[in-house]
Amino acid sequence: MTRMLYSGLVMNNKPNDPEEIIPGKSYSFWTDWKVNYWAGVAWILSLAGDALLHHYPEWPVVLRAIIALSPLLAALLWVRSFARWMRGMDELHRQIQMQACLFAATATLFLFMTLHPLFKAGVFQTVGLHTNWLWDFNAWWLKILVMTAFYILGSKIFNRRYK
Amino acid sequence: MKNKLRELRAAKEWSQSDLADKLDVSRQTVNAIETEKYDPSLPLAFKVARLFKLKIEDIFELDKD
Repeated sequence: MTRMLYSGLVMNNKPNDPEEIIPGKSYSFWTDWKVNYWAGVAWILSLAGDALLHHYPEWPVVLRAIIALSPLLAALLWVRSFARWMRGMDELHRQIQMQACLFAATATLFLFMTLHPLFKAGVFQTVGLHTNWLWDFNAWWLKILVMTAFYILGSKIFNRRYK
Repeated sequence: MKNKLRELRAAKEWSQSDLADKLDVSRQTVNAIETEKYDPSLPLAFKVARLFKLKIEDIFELDKD
C-alpha cells in the first residue's frame, strides 16, 4: 500500500502551482495549509510571546529568551517548507516567486526602516498613534503580516508580466 | 530570443496544455515562451529540442541586436 502511494506520488510530476496559495480563483486552502503552517505557528508564537513577556517580567531570563526566540525556530521551519514547495515548481513560477519574495523582503525592510525613525522622531505621536506591548514596530507578528501582504502583491505584479 | 515553438506545436496539433504536460512545466510557461516573454533555461530548451527531435538552434534563435 505504501509502495503504491509512493509510486503514485512519483508519477504525479505536475509542477506546484504558486497561485494555489495566493487569494484568487486557483486558491487551495489545503495547499496553503501545507506550505504556510509554520508561518501561522510563528505568528501565534510571536503574539503569545509578546503577551507572556509583557505580563510576566519576573520569569527567569533564560525562559524569557526561549519565549522571545521561539518564533524564529518556527520561521526557519516555514522557510524550509516554503523552499521545498518552490523546488517543486517549474522554472518560470520559481523565478516569479523568487522575485515576489525579494520584493516582499525589501519592501518590508524599507517600510520598517522608514516607520521606526519616524516614530522615534515623534511624527506618529502627534497624530495620536502610540505603541504598546502589542502594537509595536518591532513586533514579529506585524512584520510577518506585512511581509505576507507584500508577497501577495509582488506575486500578482510579477505574474502579470508573463500572462 | 525568438522561437518557433508555436509553429512546431501547431504542426503536432498539440494544445499548450499537452505540450506543458510533455515538458513537465505549467501551461503559463509554454505560453510565456511562445509569446517570447520568457526565455527558457538551457535544460528546458534541450528538453524542447529532444521532444521535437530538432537541434536547439533550429527552435530558438538569438535576437540580432
